[in-house]
Amino acid sequence: MDTKSKVKSNLQEAELYKTQGLLNEALEKYLRAGNLIRKDEQLARNKKLYNTVIQKIRALKAEIERIDSSPDTKEVSESVQNIIKEKFAYGEEGDARALEGAIALAKFGQYERALREFRDLMQQENVKVDSAKNIIRCHVTLDSIDDAIRQYEEWFRSNAFTPEQINRLRVFLQSILDKKGIDKTLPHKEVEAMPAESPAALYDNQEVMDGEIIEPEYVEGEVMEDEIQDEDIIDISSVEITLEEGPQKGQTVEYDVSFQSGRVINLLVSSSDKELIETLKTGLELRKVHFYSPMAMFNGEGVVFSKSKIESGPKQGDYSLDIEIKSIK
Amino acid sequence: MANINLKKREVECKIVYYGPGRCGKTTNLEYIFKNFGKQVTGDMVSTDTEGDRTLFFDFLPMGIGKIKGYDIRLALYTVPGQVKYSATRKMVLREVDGLVFVADSLKVRREKNMLSLKDLHQNLKEYGLSIFKVPLVIQYNKRDLADQGIPLMPVKQMNQDLNRQLKVPSFPASAVRGDGVGDTLKACIKLTLQSLKKQMGW
Repeated sequence: MDTKSKVKSNLQEAELYKTQGLLNEALEKYLRAGNLIRKDEQLARNKKLYNTVIQKIRALKAEIERIDSSPDTKEVSESVQNIIKEKFAYGEEGDARALEGAIALAKFGQYERALREFRDLMQQENVKVDSAKNIIRCHVTLDSIDDAIRQYEEWFRSNAFTPEQINRLRVFLQSILDKKGIDKTLPHKEVEAMPAESPAALYDNQEVMDGEIIEPEYVEGEVMEDEIQDEDIIDISSVEITLEEGPQKGQTVEYDVSFQSGRVINLLVSSSDKELIETLKTGLELRKVHFYSPMAMFNGEGVVFSKSKIESGPKQGDYSLDIEIKSIK
Repeated sequence: MANINLKKREVECKIVYYGPGRCGKTTNLEYIFKNFGKQVTGDMVSTDTEGDRTLFFDFLPMGIGKIKGYDIRLALYTVPGQVKYSATRKMVLREVDGLVFVADSLKVRREKNMLSLKDLHQNLKEYGLSIFKVPLVIQYNKRDLADQGIPLMPVKQMNQDLNRQLKVPSFPASAVRGDGVGDTLKACIKLTLQSLKKQMGW
């Protein structure tokens, strides 16, 4: 094939890829055509042809740039939001499912609607605190810490929550503020010491009086080791994992929890920790884990639930690791 | 596992169209929406972003009649194909009952097809599902572009690349023309219902 035919063929392919929305492939073909023209003495004299190709390359690069920089989330129509709310909630019917629907809206970046849903759900006693925590999470995700604090103070003043509930929210938000290095102490309410009702209380019903943990009632030396449910889990702020395989076998690594959904916690692992990323394969059982909450530390076990490379944003290249908590002792 | 409503005697199966960006997943659903009027039970909902790329998912509800007194409904979804929407793809894939993997026949997209299938395999694994066991069909889309003299992968080669181990039903197609779209969907529904019957003990 002579150069002229090659140029023609590349330009034809480029046009077609463009119509298919395959902009990078189209760009490659235009660049190839441009190079062929530049290197061919006869074709290079045809300035009009060369300039046309250059213009097309510039326009394509601008288009690719525009698409790449478009926001990853946007507010979608109410009908789409309704589908997210209804179809991405998988639990039983009722308030718990409605809460899951609202969380799905937040996961899809529909924060305004999610906030409305969480506020409505706060009327339901069984999901009231979880809804409030998710309102705080939404504000934190939206980088509006001031709104989260304002919201907490509003709840604090309004008596919308029992002293125990408001203190759970305080501990939750305070740990976020501390982690972010924000020098702010949230107001708290006095609560009477109540013995915990069940072993599960260790995980979720642990309350604070004057900053002290009320110890759950259980026979000393007796180990509680249960298969746990989402609702049993308190907020975990960091974890320490003892590695049992790989090049770092026997060593411990500590990570902050960046996100938590029930018994699944999410950690961000730097791309520079290559050996660790390699070791922490999906499905790997982690038998020695310390879970740190703002109030206490628990030993337990987990399993690497998923691992994915972050493809965009400030953490691009790092790894997002979901660990499912299997048991706590 | 399909969503079963014993009270209403309804079963909703989730079928997800998976594949690399711009392979024609949304075009498949658009064709179904326009041409399967009897089975389509509601509007098709899309979430497009810049350059007509799917941002979250497309959604199309369908109804295919009764089995054992249960109304069988289908919820058809597409996932966003772009690599950066990995988290969204995983969310859409949750609780999937049947899958259509749409592969792009263009030669320049060969590697993207394989990467997307690998991504599907990994995401299913993370939900405890095996790509070898889940109801799956593969569609080799954009066969019509051969008419325009653009280099396409032969179907045999695509089968070798993508279906050598899976050995699932596969269909050449042109979603813009509608060729193979119905056959692909029907095959996926058939496999999904077989799996559902097994799960329900029917």
